Amino acid sequence: MKIYTSKKDIASKKAIIADDMMLTADMPTAAGSKMLDGYMSLFEAEVLTRAKNAGYDLVGKTDVGEFAIDLVGETSCNGAKVKDGVLLNPTAEALKTGEVKAAICLDVNGAPRRAAAQNGLVSVKPTYGTVSRYGTVPVACSGECVSVMAKSALECKELLGVIVGHDDKDGTSLSEELCGSAKKCGELRRVAVLGAMEKGIDANVEAKLCAFKSTLRNNGVEVIEIEDDIIAAARPAWNVLMSAELCNNVSRYDGVKYGHRAQNFSGIDELYTNSRTEAFGELLKKAILFGSDTLSTENYMKVYDKALRVRRVIVERFAEIFKEFDAVLMPACSVMEYTEDMVKENKSLSFEENFYTAPASISGLPAVVVGGVQLVGRAFSEGTLLGAAELYEKEGK
Amino acid sequence: MEKETLRILEMLNQLSLTQTEKDEVITFCNNRENDLKTLDAIDTANVERMVHVMPIMTVVREDVVSQPFTREALQAGAPETDEGYWCVPRVVE
Repeated sequence: MKIYTSKKDIASKKAIIADDMMLTADMPTAAGSKMLDGYMSLFEAEVLTRAKNAGYDLVGKTDVGEFAIDLVGETSCNGAKVKDGVLLNPTAEALKTGEVKAAICLDVNGAPRRAAAQNGLVSVKPTYGTVSRYGTVPVACSGECVSVMAKSALECKELLGVIVGHDDKDGTSLSEELCGSAKKCGELRRVAVLGAMEKGIDANVEAKLCAFKSTLRNNGVEVIEIEDDIIAAARPAWNVLMSAELCNNVSRYDGVKYGHRAQNFSGIDELYTNSRTEAFGELLKKAILFGSDTLSTENYMKVYDKALRVRRVIVERFAEIFKEFDAVLMPACSVMEYTEDMVKENKSLSFEENFYTAPASISGLPAVVVGGVQLVGRAFSEGTLLGAAELYEKEGK
Repeated sequence: MEKETLRILEMLNQLSLTQTEKDEVITFCNNRENDLKTLDAIDTANVERMVHVMPIMTVVREDVVSQPFTREALQAGAPETDEGYWCVPRVVE
């Protein structure tokens, strides 16, 4: 594992960290890839500027899996962080030491949410477009969001509060008015539970879900199980969209203007090919080739176009659910820890474990992870979801 | 995924895989193809594509000439430069 540290005092009361998907001008940014190892950006991510302007001190950066598409960071070019065979997420580990108040992460394929769930932390993925993505390493731009992870819902809320807002530099940034509505806190009265989304979870995750449901019920919240056969399609649809967008976004890395350049090549084509082949990891190559395949003439309509239409069906299904409910409760992962053996056995596990995180990613809806489970709410309801997280924390402690 | 399709995709994406990697990519893509049956089961007749999930307007700004970074700064991370130019192997004989 690699952690970059800045010259800031880690003892600062407002010390925060960023994951390595955030560009920084005073620390390198590698996005977990050998391609960008040692890369120094000329500017920093807008969210970091906003956090600093609000008095936060960015004291360091934590490693991520290559382009943040893996489970919890295990595909980093610096190697996986492992303890007793269990895969650890560097950002969650840094937060657990208590030396930093919160972390700013890029949620591409749910890694920050899985890490928060497995480490007893809180994570908030805000509504798409309410937090600027300017200065983040682009991967799957139509769904990825800058998220916040911390030990408590209050710390998440405080940091999120200063980074939310319109940014002219981000073409997908929403108006100041819409962004402002994400700060409002409403009341959680009815929560839906989708039986289909609890598929594949183990007893530990089931226990977390039961505990959360009890807390909600004890506080007068109606928790009702409903039938649904649409939301589960978010995983295959998101895998298609994420891979297709990733394939395009990483096409810029060719070893010419910046990034890794192979030592041996006989001409320009070999320079490109050898540089990319040497620098990219196994999972990334698979995602690139799958994404490229979905965009081929043969598959574009059948696969990519279909996934875009399924996205609308999912968004409309959520809208239907939110006519009657304030949030949907679902797991964030199937198990409370991932092991080295699990990823050796199934090298593309992250394309299956995102079953639980893809619904919020593909629909742009806010999601809060607390107590090892995930609440997905209607657009701009992150304040309400964080309020429910605070309620859970009070009950749980 | 057929081997020939993979060969073309490798070429298009400027990647060169070992035989083991090729086998793994084919397995990976074939697993994903199974997933696509889930998508096919959803009726999308008369459903519009959804590219943006939020009401995003095209952002326009004044076309103002500026130079926020110097050539030296922009080339500081380049693998190889020469007198302000990026170096690549000869492409015209």
